[in-house]
Amino acid sequence: MILTGFLKTVQLTFFGLIMGLILGILLAIGDLYGGKIISTIIKFYVEFFRGSPIIIQLFIFYFSVPIMLNIRLGSTIVGFIVFALNSAAYQKGYIKGAMESVYKDQMTAALSLGLSKVQAIMYVVLPQAMRIMIPGWSNEFSSLGKSTAAILIIGERDLTAIGRTIAFRTFRFLETYAFIALIYFIFISIVLKILDIIYEKIKIPTIEISA
Amino acid sequence: MGEQKKEAVGTPGGRRIADIILECRNLWKIYGKIVAVKDVSLEVKEGDIKLIFGPSGSGKSTLARCLAMLTTPTKGDVFLMGECLTKPGVDLNKARAKIGFVFQHIWLFHHLSALGNIELGLRRVLKLPKNEAREQAIQALKEVKMEEWANHFPAQLSGGQQQRVGIARALAMSPEIIILDEPTSALDPELTGEVIDTLRDLAKKGTTMLVISHEMPFAREVADEMIFLDEGMIVERGQPELFFTKPSSERARRFMARLIKLTRRE
Ligand SMILES: Nc1ncnc2c1ncn2[C@@H]1O[C@H](COP(=O)(O)OP(=O)(O)O)[C@@H](O)[C@H]1O
Ligand SMILES: [Mg+2]
Repeated sequence: MILTGFLKTVQLTFFGLIMGLILGILLAIGDLYGGKIISTIIKFYVEFFRGSPIIIQLFIFYFSVPIMLNIRLGSTIVGFIVFALNSAAYQKGYIKGAMESVYKDQMTAALSLGLSKVQAIMYVVLPQAMRIMIPGWSNEFSSLGKSTAAILIIGERDLTAIGRTIAFRTFRFLETYAFIALIYFIFISIVLKILDIIYEKIKIPTIEISA
Repeated sequence: MGEQKKEAVGTPGGRRIADIILECRNLWKIYGKIVAVKDVSLEVKEGDIKLIFGPSGSGKSTLARCLAMLTTPTKGDVFLMGECLTKPGVDLNKARAKIGFVFQHIWLFHHLSALGNIELGLRRVLKLPKNEAREQAIQALKEVKMEEWANHFPAQLSGGQQQRVGIARALAMSPEIIILDEPTSALDPELTGEVIDTLRDLAKKGTTMLVISHEMPFAREVADEMIFLDEGMIVERGQPELFFTKPSSERARRFMARLIKLTRRE
């Protein structure tokens, strides 16, 4: 039972993180190159998702959006959507920052070779921005991993929800929650370690490494 | 066709009236209240080496970037091989591929090796197959004597080596002209020599170049024309000997005197 809850948490986290990355890149590019109107829309989007409690966001997508659009959304789908959109709002900030830091000079150099703007972003700006962004990504991963727990509010059986059920059934609150916390801790630590290793692996070589 | 024409119009003086590669007419660049480039017209012919110099802030870089269409001129026109680049609808990427640019602060792609820096344009712009791109990139590195450093990353190279890769990167695209914006001024004095040597080699091969530089011995040796820029305007232009013997404008005279003094001190 704990395992299925854990898997749900892992799924939500990774899906949110990866969809958030893709959306975040699009948002960052839109913000940097899209002109004033697109930029303003993106700003509202980001402020909504960063500026409101994730529980409210879950409620909106679970209760209000289905009514507005006259569709039915299951709690799992809502989880995927909300965590992806939410994470995108945060990741957009990291990506944009990283892109800006490599943006101007490297972009100019790329354009001088005759690359188009899109090619320059693909082959020059993003590969460097991704490297710079990994520490930010680690932050986002650990905070997203933990905030997926909010999904129990719309009835999804993630790790925390399962923990709560067990705690109420056994009345061993302290042990159960401590154990659940430990699982989060181990999960997050392992992934952070992996990100760290990737970061070291793809780091751009400097003199120290060659020596 | 081009070759025939050149021979046909050869003049007894030894210099031939070659085709104009890059030209600007009445070019202006205005940033808010700053007039960075003020009504500049110049042309660079095939095989020409033009040298632009002038005080810091005089608009040299801005002019160079306008010529390469890396910034859009406020007014005036730029022509590459007779094609107007300042009209709407021109494929600027295509035009830029024909104009090599070497930057003062080098700006190699940090995440790519020396070879990778050169291959990028060959692969993605000229669309060469992998092997061919590699061969040409190695060839370009050989021309700047950097082939042994092909797999090093920018951060593993000295400033002078980086700039030579920067030159190779521009060169590899077989551009019609190479524009170099103070290619040695960001380097330590002891590293400028190797870059100047590279430029000398290019000059010997007849590469069409527009160089912004204050390396006066180099200028005197290779430039066909020197152009003195001040406050965004061409103040004086002519053969190097003019500047080294008797510049007619007071401003050029003073500036030359200062430069020569600086060079002597080194
Ligand atoms: N992107 C820019 N925005 C605003 N002002 C600029 C910009 N680029 C250059 N300038 C201004 O234009 C003038 C000429 O600069 P520049 O072309 O860099 O001169 P130089 O290369 O001769 O030192 C300077 O006053 C500079 O401050
Ligand atoms: Mg300059």
